[in-house]
Amino acid sequence: MEQPIYYSKAEYIETDTGNKVSRRATIAGPQNIILGGKTVISSGAIIRGDLRRTNPGHAVVISLGRYCLVGENCVMRPPYKTYRGNFNYYPMKIGDHVHIGANTVVEAAIIGNHVEIGKNCVIGKFTTIKDCAKIADNTIVPPNTVIPALSLFAGSPGRFMEDLPESTQEIVEAHTKTYYTRFQPFDPRER
Amino acid sequence: MAPSVLYHCPCLSTSPIPPPPHLPSSSYNFHLLHTLFFCEECDAVRCNRCVSIEVSSYYCPNCLFEVPSASVRAEKNRCARNCFMCPNCRNTLSVVPSDPPDTGDMRLPIPASALNGPPFFLYCNHCRWDSAQVGITFEKPTGLAAQLQKHEDSAPDSLEFERLKEHFEPFLRASSLSASTSTGHPTAHISSAAHSHHLHANSITAAASAALARDIPGVGKYNPLARSTSARGGITKDKSINKDEMAEYRSRLDITKASAYGTGGGEIDVEFMKHIEDIGEVASLEQRWLNSWAGPLKTQELKPLRIPLRSKRSKRCPACTHILIKPEQKAQSVRYKIKLVAATYLPAITASLPHAQRHTAELAKKSLGKSTSAANDDEKNAASDMHAGKTYLFQLALSNPLYDPIQVRLSVQRMHVSTAAAKEGASSTEKARRPPFAVSLPTSTFSVAAYAEAWEYDDDDEMFGLDDDDDLLGRGGRDLEGRSGKAKTVGVLEKRANTTLVGGEVVIGKEARGNVKFNMLVSYTYRSDDPAPSESNDGEGISTKMAPKAPEIKTFAFYTVVDLGHIIPREESRVAESDL
Ligand SMILES: [Zn+2]
Ligand SMILES: [Zn+2]
Ligand SMILES: [Zn+2]
Ligand SMILES: [Zn+2]
Repeated sequence: MEQPIYYSKAEYIETDTGNKVSRRATIAGPQNIILGGKTVISSGAIIRGDLRRTNPGHAVVISLGRYCLVGENCVMRPPYKTYRGNFNYYPMKIGDHVHIGANTVVEAAIIGNHVEIGKNCVIGKFTTIKDCAKIADNTIVPPNTVIPALSLFAGSPGRFMEDLPESTQEIVEAHTKTYYTRFQPFDPRER
Repeated sequence: MAPSVLYHCPCLSTSPIPPPPHLPSSSYNFHLLHTLFFCEECDAVRCNRCVSIEVSSYYCPNCLFEVPSASVRAEKNRCARNCFMCPNCRNTLSVVPSDPPDTGDMRLPIPASALNGPPFFLYCNHCRWDSAQVGITFEKPTGLAAQLQKHEDSAPDSLEFERLKEHFEPFLRASSLSASTSTGHPTAHISSAAHSHHLHANSITAAASAALARDIPGVGKYNPLARSTSARGGITKDKSINKDEMAEYRSRLDITKASAYGTGGGEIDVEFMKHIEDIGEVASLEQRWLNSWAGPLKTQELKPLRIPLRSKRSKRCPACTHILIKPEQKAQSVRYKIKLVAATYLPAITASLPHAQRHTAELAKKSLGKSTSAANDDEKNAASDMHAGKTYLFQLALSNPLYDPIQVRLSVQRMHVSTAAAKEGASSTEKARRPPFAVSLPTSTFSVAAYAEAWEYDDDDEMFGLDDDDDLLGRGGRDLEGRSGKAKTVGVLEKRANTTLVGGEVVIGKEARGNVKFNMLVSYTYRSDDPAPSESNDGEGISTKMAPKAPEIKTFAFYTVVDLGHIIPREESRVAESDL
C-alpha cells in the first residue's frame, strides 16, 4: 500500500537504535550530538555539534528525539548570543516525530514533539516551536520567535496562519513512523 | 497531484446527499477525515463549519501566559505583558536600550539586561522598524504594555468608543434584563453553556432583535421567537423595549473637524496625498486593517501593537450540544479531556493509482546515486497523467479504526449525466464540464479486520517491508494497465492487518475533460456494543442510555468524494506525442 522510499544501501549507516545517517551528511562534533533512534539524517545535511559552549567538559549541543528526519542539505546550527559580554553557543533540543524539509536552516533553541518544518525555511536563532506546530515551505522565522502549539506558520516573516486540527498529533506520529518504515535500502547491484 | 478522498459533512442539511462533484459547492461539503468530528448521540459526522464553538481559555501566543477572562476585556484582547507586534511586518518586537546595530553582521540586538542606558525602544529584528521612528521611547524596559495602553486609551477614537459604550450601557442592560425575564430565549442552545461571554452576547442579541422588532408601518413584524408559542402573544410585553427612550448621542468631537486630531479623512488626507513621493508612505491595507482598529494612513504614524490574544476552544455538536472537543486548560498542552473525532469511528480511505506509483518507484530507483530527493516534480506529475479514451486501474485502501471487524460496501453515486446531455440546449461546454467516465467498484460486501494495538507500527519492519512474497495478489494487478484482466483487478486485492485494499477501474471517454472525480457512498456494518470508542464519553455522563444494550449490528453510511486526478484531453496528448 505505502510505496517504499528507496535510498542507496551503500550511502547510509544504520546504528543499533535504528538511526540512519547518510555518509554524505556532515556531522561535526558527533560526541556532542544525540539521536533518539529511528531518526534519518539525509544526504548533504550539516549538523554542527562542534559549536559548543566554551566551558570545559562534556556537553550535549544538539539532541534529536525518535522518528525525526533531517532533510537533504539542511543545516542544524546551535544558536549563539553575547550575554554580559561573553559570546556563547546554546544547546538545541528537538523532540520526537519532528520532520525538517530539504534545504532548511535551523537555529532554534527548542522544538517540541510532532513538529513539521517544510522545505527551504529559515528558523532563526532561539526560536521556540511548541508541540504539533507546523511551518510551511519557504517560511522565514525571525530570531526569538515563539510558535505556539497547534499553529501553522507561513510567510516572511513567518506569521500565524491557522489552527491545526485536534488530531494533528496522531497524524504526524503516523506519518513519521510510516516514513521511517518506507525508508528502505535499495542496492542497484542486487537486482 | 496525488489522488484524494474527502469526507462529506451534511452540516445539518435535511438532505444527506452531497452535491455533484463538479459543482463548486462540492468543495465546501467535503473535508479531510482528520478534521471531522463525530457525535455519538446523533450518530453523525460534524465538521468545523457546523460545530458550535466556545472559548475555553485565552493565552498570549508570544509569552504563552494564560489570561483570565476577567482581564481579557479590560486589556482589550491583547497581551498586557511585554509582547508587541511590529506594525510594519507583524513580527514580534524586542526591547532594546540603544540603537540597534545597522551593520549586516546578523548579530542580535544586545538584550536589554546587558546595557542599561535609557531610553528604551521597541525594535523589529526582521524589517528593522523601531518605535523611536514614531516617537515612542520608554524610560524603563518594564511595564511597556501599560504605558502603551495609556497611549491607546487616550486616542480620540478610543475615547469616542468609550463614550458610545457608556451611552448605550443602560439600554443594553434594560434589554438584556427584559430578554432574560421574557419568554423563551432564541439562543437556548448556547445559554445552556453558562459561560460569562453569553451574558454579553445575549444583551447584544436582545438589543438587535429589539431594533428589528420595532413596528414599521407597512413592514411585516420580525419575530425571532416564531417557534415558541408564548412569544406570539408577547407583543405587548415587547413595547417597553421598542420605545426609543434614549437621549440623542453627542460625540466628543465634531466629526467634521476630527481629521485634525489624527483620525484621518478630510482636507488633511488630501494634502498628504498630494505630496506623496513614494507609495511606501501610505500604510498598506493589511497594516491598517488587521493591526488596530483605526489605523493611521501614513506609514510613519504606525504604532507598535500589543499582541492579540489567542484562545483554546471547545466544540459542541450543533444538534444536541454534546461536547465533541474539550481541550486541557493549560495553554500549550496538546491533550484533550474530550475528543470525539471521526477518524476513530469511520474507516480511513486512501486512493492510489498503480500506474503512477510504479512510475515514481522506477524514477526513484533510477535517481539513486544522484540526488535521492523527491525525484523531479514534473516527472512525478507526468506519471500520474490519465489520458482521455483510456482505461485505468485505481486502488482504495480502507483502514478500520474499530476494535471489531466491519463489513463495507462501496457504491458510486450516479451523476445524472444522461439527463443533462438529453436536454436540447445542453451545449458542448456543458458536456465537457461533466467528464463522461465510468467507474467500476467491487459490488459485493467485503470485510475489514479489527484494529488491534499490536498492529501499531512499532514492530514496523513486518508491516510495510519489501514484501516480495506478498506480491501475488496486490502487485499482480498493477502490471495490467488497459482493458485486460478486469476480473482480477476490480475487487478485493489484499488484506493486511486492519487494512483492506480494493481495486477499481475507470474507463475515460474519448471527449472527457476535467478531473476523474466522483462521489462514493461508503456504508458499513459494525457491532454497536463495542465499548472502546464510547469510553471517552464517560466523563461527560452521556452514556446512561447506551450502557445496557444487547450486541446489535448497526449500519452507518457516509459519502466521500474521490478525486483521482486530471484527465489529459485528446488534443493535448496528440500534441505531446508529436513533440516526441
Ligand atoms: Zn458540517
Ligand atoms: Zn504576551
Ligand atoms: Zn518588522
Ligand atoms: Zn449530537
